[in-house]
Amino acid sequence: MIEFDGWLLDLFEDEKEGVVLYFMDREGPRWRLTTPFPVTFYAQGESEQLRALWRMLRTLPQVTDIHRTQRMDVFRRQWVPVLAATVQNPVTLQPLIQKVVARFPKLEYSDADISITVRFAAQTGATPLSYCHVVADEATHKLKDIEVLESAWEMTPRPIPFRRLYLSPSGDPNHGRPRYLRVIYGKHENRYLLSDMQNVLVCLRATLKRVDPDLIITGWGDTWLLPLLVEKSKEYQIPLPLNRETGRDILLKKELTYFSYGQIIYRGQQVHLFGRCHLDRRNAMLWSDYDLEGTIESSRVTSLPLQIAARVSPGTGISSIEMLTALREQVLVPYQKQQAEYFKPVADLYSADQGGIVYQPLIGLHRNVGMIDFTSMYPAVMVYFNLSPETILPNGMNGTPVPALGITIDNSREGLVPKALRPLLEKRIALKKRLAMQKVWYPPERERIEHRASALKWLLVVCFGYLGYKNARFGRIEAHQAVTAYGREAMMQAKEAAEDMGCEVIQMYVDGLWVQRPDWSQPADFEALLLEIEERTGLPIALDGVYRWIVFVGSRGNKARPVANRYFGVFQDGSIKVRGIDARRRDATPFVKETQLHLLELLARHDDPFDGLGQAVKYLRGQVRTLRSGKVPLADLLVRQRLGRKLEAYRTLSPAARAAFQLKAVGKEQHPGQRVAFLFTLGKPGVHAWDLPERPDPESVDLARYETLLIRAAGIVLEAFGLDEKELERLMKTDLKQLGLIRV
Amino acid sequence: MGRTLPSATQIMQQDEAALARFRRALRRSDQLVLDDLFNAAQKHLSAAAYAANILPFESFLLSMLLEEHKEVLRLRESVENLQKRHD
Amino acid sequence: MLAQNPDNLSLPAPQRGKISLVVAPRGVSGKMMTMLATLALHGKVLVIDGGNRFDAYALSRELRQRTVEVYAALNRVILSRVFTCYQMTATLSQLPLDGTPVVILDLLGTFLDESVAFGKRRYLLNNSLGRLRQIAASAPVALWARTRTTPTDEDQKLLPLVLEVASDLWELQDAEVPDYQLPLF
Repeated sequence: MIEFDGWLLDLFEDEKEGVVLYFMDREGPRWRLTTPFPVTFYAQGESEQLRALWRMLRTLPQVTDIHRTQRMDVFRRQWVPVLAATVQNPVTLQPLIQKVVARFPKLEYSDADISITVRFAAQTGATPLSYCHVVADEATHKLKDIEVLESAWEMTPRPIPFRRLYLSPSGDPNHGRPRYLRVIYGKHENRYLLSDMQNVLVCLRATLKRVDPDLIITGWGDTWLLPLLVEKSKEYQIPLPLNRETGRDILLKKELTYFSYGQIIYRGQQVHLFGRCHLDRRNAMLWSDYDLEGTIESSRVTSLPLQIAARVSPGTGISSIEMLTALREQVLVPYQKQQAEYFKPVADLYSADQGGIVYQPLIGLHRNVGMIDFTSMYPAVMVYFNLSPETILPNGMNGTPVPALGITIDNSREGLVPKALRPLLEKRIALKKRLAMQKVWYPPERERIEHRASALKWLLVVCFGYLGYKNARFGRIEAHQAVTAYGREAMMQAKEAAEDMGCEVIQMYVDGLWVQRPDWSQPADFEALLLEIEERTGLPIALDGVYRWIVFVGSRGNKARPVANRYFGVFQDGSIKVRGIDARRRDATPFVKETQLHLLELLARHDDPFDGLGQAVKYLRGQVRTLRSGKVPLADLLVRQRLGRKLEAYRTLSPAARAAFQLKAVGKEQHPGQRVAFLFTLGKPGVHAWDLPERPDPESVDLARYETLLIRAAGIVLEAFGLDEKELERLMKTDLKQLGLIRV
Repeated sequence: MGRTLPSATQIMQQDEAALARFRRALRRSDQLVLDDLFNAAQKHLSAAAYAANILPFESFLLSMLLEEHKEVLRLRESVENLQKRHD
Repeated sequence: MLAQNPDNLSLPAPQRGKISLVVAPRGVSGKMMTMLATLALHGKVLVIDGGNRFDAYALSRELRQRTVEVYAALNRVILSRVFTCYQMTATLSQLPLDGTPVVILDLLGTFLDESVAFGKRRYLLNNSLGRLRQIAASAPVALWARTRTTPTDEDQKLLPLVLEVASDLWELQDAEVPDYQLPLF
């Protein structure tokens, strides 16, 4: 008898054995176990058709059971009779479904395309990376029993003792072939020249055998390194055991471009391994936000396998959680989403079809402003007000009315989506409280918790949007509308509470308010307001912080026009918050960003920001001098803009498009949705793409243009303090001391 | 995600565009004053959005009037202060 | 009947027994709203929006120019928005055959979704068009097939199917349709 405690590392379908599982025994060994895993799908519809389907399925050897039963159809809001068909091996399901749907297109199908990890989690409770007690047969290595010891909702899960192998090329392959490959495990680091591929392969093979890693973490592994290694391995006939599982090739997912809500999205190629996990740091969705720890949290909570959790958007994670909940509750998971919006009179559209409350802030400088926001407002609304596709009652039925909309909610049972989200929301709130309470913590531990909280935050952030997403299985526009309606109502109540208590509301943005009362400057002062708001709305709200001062900035095109989300300010504790201006934009030039941020820091050092103006201007002059003298490294002058469409579709070429053309000319195709890096240069075409083989001549850089960008960015920060762009331009030209206005 | 209606900002732009002929026929100096009225209405876009009026221009007109009156109140206060100082 | 129309011509209201088809770029939504306003003055209208083209404020403006009872008229325009070809087909199949005029905005919008196999989309479109024929027997039906500036291969394969069911055809080119360009912010 095999018996151990350990973590489920990988799980996949196998046409002979059903499901293959890889476990990490906490004592050290790695186990490969299998288990047969029959899966079931359902069909519903007209009786004649179902009978015909039954007759067809009966003749097929892969189908082992067919019977009539009942399942919950959340869109019809009742239990419905269905035909349940079970296949012995999960690999046979997809081809069977294609056949059946083609033959009987009028029937409705459910549970036809659920991932194997979700099914396994629904059946056993074990999601990827959960810590379990496992029992298996010694001779056959067949799984006999699995018991989850630490669920996904565990607040402080045991750290997982992964064996990690890092593979990093010495440089970015997009810029030219890297010279060597860095291979790191434990405390060992080795470098192998990539010019000698055979050596690389032989050494890598030996390393893989010796280390037997659970995780292979790479740079550009999806798009360049691993496909190259696999190709060379075949060419030189040196087998490379990237998979732990023998008898299988690595799984290569091709790149694709797709259209979503008016935007073009590009997804790079991916390499998935069997028996091990490959994570490409450069291709991981939110790696910079929450690293490996957050990805593990995401995988556990969503039951997506680690390799997929790392690469997909949080929306896929939410979909997975919803499907898992559905399976557990015997709710049908529809195969092709057909549920459209109810027909509604247009007159109702105006109040329903809104988003969150967005105020126009009072532009300029404000002092002692408290920022309060509802904790995960939309998810909280969904959970506490029971909003789910099936809890929305059609026109005219009795139920709890939604503020200002013509629809009502059925509160007689908990909806599927609130049920799915509740543990996620509660864990996030609990983690946040933990972090707030224990300010002093062993930094790596704190960081791990922050990363976990971040992964949960991202899932929660998208679950609302997912409710309205056209391809969501469990989505419904009306539910989405109800969520925003409750959200607007909560914000209005919060505003009223603040004003009733004598505050001025400087700004409101979807789930947060900036409030000010002349005699309130400390966090404790805002307590009473928070309690009052919680009382009135029934939703949790917290103080984000008190700004010593905050500046709301106008729009990019018209400075006098207030815009919702461009501001910067300094909290009581000296920390700076910036939104919407260059310092926070992904396409902004590093040199400009850095300058803007430093200007803010200089202002933040003094209790009164006006005291920092002198230093700010002096610093800016220094930056201008450095720029003019050509001493700024070219990499810091890069602009990164997204390519919005296919090159042929451009009528007038944007700078990004011009750079993309340059790259195309040297065989580097850029896809819509990708960011193109370039420098502004003198003359035509005015740009030089960064990924071209030759570096541009530093003399050709359009320094004047960068200077304008720099001064404009500085103006955004300093304008509220009396120094706008024009004034700064003038100051850059004159000697400060001569003016006598500013002490240097 | 399912949203069809334009933002309040876009609606105001549409309403401004619908007044293009009226504006054109005004003297240049009057055109600038009209623009100023629209700038004033800008300040209350969120209220106009929340009101969800099926004829949003009515909300914009009210916003313009609101700002006008604020100005009147301010001027009234200034005049009173000046008068006090004179006496 | 093909016609190239000047800017200020309005689209006539559809008639029972026929399917009127408008083939035009996005700017024609204003004219579609005008047509809806005319229909809404006299009774209920069912609208299915296949491409998020419904312009509620244009509709209310048009109604305001024709009546004081704007709200009542708006209440007679019943709208459903569909985002996938499955939803379009399902919605059409569930429409009652009771003579209420039906207007479809951007009929092909949901059928250009590359994530669904082309054969399947064509099957669903034929299904939808069949249903529309049935509906047109007792109700006025107007369809708008939106033309795109860079038409895809599939646009060109699916449009002929729609052309086949139309009895009246209005085709408007780019230049004749006011293209509402909203400024960037």
